[in-house]
Amino acid sequence: MPAASARLPVVVVTCKVLASALERLLPPDLAEDVTLLEYGLHRAPAKLTASVQEALDAIQVPSLVILGYGLCGNGLRGIRSGAHTLLVPRTDDCIAILLGSYKAYMRHFSAEPGTYWLTKGWLEAGSHPLKEYQEYTARWGADEALWLLDQQYRNYKRIALVAPNLEEMAQYRASAQEVARFCERWGYRYEEVLGSDDYVTRLIEAAVALRDGAPAASTGPDFLVIPPAAEIKQEMFMRG
Amino acid sequence: MSKILERIATCILEGDVEQTAKLVKRALDEGTPAGQIMDEGLLAGTTQIRPLLLAGGSKQAGKVLLGTVKGDLHDIGKNLVSMMCEGAGFEVIDIGFNVEPEAFVEAIKKHQPEVVGMSAMLTTTMRAMGYTIKAIEEAGLRDRVKIMVGGAPVDADFSKRIGADGYGSNAPAGADLAKKFVGAA
Repeated sequence: MPAASARLPVVVVTCKVLASALERLLPPDLAEDVTLLEYGLHRAPAKLTASVQEALDAIQVPSLVILGYGLCGNGLRGIRSGAHTLLVPRTDDCIAILLGSYKAYMRHFSAEPGTYWLTKGWLEAGSHPLKEYQEYTARWGADEALWLLDQQYRNYKRIALVAPNLEEMAQYRASAQEVARFCERWGYRYEEVLGSDDYVTRLIEAAVALRDGAPAASTGPDFLVIPPAAEIKQEMFMRG
Repeated sequence: MSKILERIATCILEGDVEQTAKLVKRALDEGTPAGQIMDEGLLAGTTQIRPLLLAGGSKQAGKVLLGTVKGDLHDIGKNLVSMMCEGAGFEVIDIGFNVEPEAFVEAIKKHQPEVVGMSAMLTTTMRAMGYTIKAIEEAGLRDRVKIMVGGAPVDADFSKRIGADGYGSNAPAGADLAKKFVGAA
């Protein structure tokens, strides 16, 4: 066990979806290295697991790794910490992180479970029903594309753009509304939800505290601290 | 209608779950559009079964109650399980998606199925399966039904943890489980 005084270097491995929040909030001298992994790896969770594991295994020195992921469709399940200590937001996916807290997410979720979330990251990566329509149409023709999308999306009720501030909201409004117009075929209503930097801020604070020797338990219920030579399990993310 | 789609319909009619799955995969590999396989193969098969079952008085395998759990609006998987169960000779009662635990309980009381199948697509909502099983226990109905669970984030380990009787990794596996539960497999 390392002495509390042995400061671990801090490294970030994150999905691009959190890149802009981290860019804004990460103190410039905190992280030795930041690895950004592609958007949308969660669509094939095994791929997410492999990519994150590869990024972790590539870190040479035992480090404190801020993992910018939630459980992400079980994509983090089975990740082995190896020589490192991992700090992970304890959420199902990035939406709770972008909304600022698990509570905020649950509030939105119980108000309208049928919400399709749009974010800066998703819009830039082109991961949304309109883009899928274009891709499916190219592969199978428009009728088939619409049939497939109807099966996938007909039960949702709302499409919501989440942004951490009004500037980003304004910047992505037009493209979000374009997607929303396409989703009118299923009767979705369009809404804008102001998110918060709070979760990412607390993630960074937790990393600083851990690096400075604070005990893992002090990070509280919103984070998981995975010690060296351990494995991430699905049930660690389950709350009450 | 193409030959392979006809064969899929026939397999559904005969309750040949494994062969159905193989043929659907082959049809997809050959480039047959998914919607066409669904309409002209799978659905064509199931719609032929219903009147036969109703008219012939042939004994059904049993009753399966299916629903996607509370908070979850994804129903493609559940609908496929429903189709496969019908193909296997079950009467299927589909109570839809975003189904409250209490609604499962009420439906069990009303329809008295042998098998209850629950589906969830998200890690956020898979917990609701556990709550639903609890509600069924509290209503004193747990011994009367076999419970099977499935959906993208679900696995056998999770199904054991929440006290389900079985887990199906895909729609044919769900129908197979239901058959096992009623002793028809």
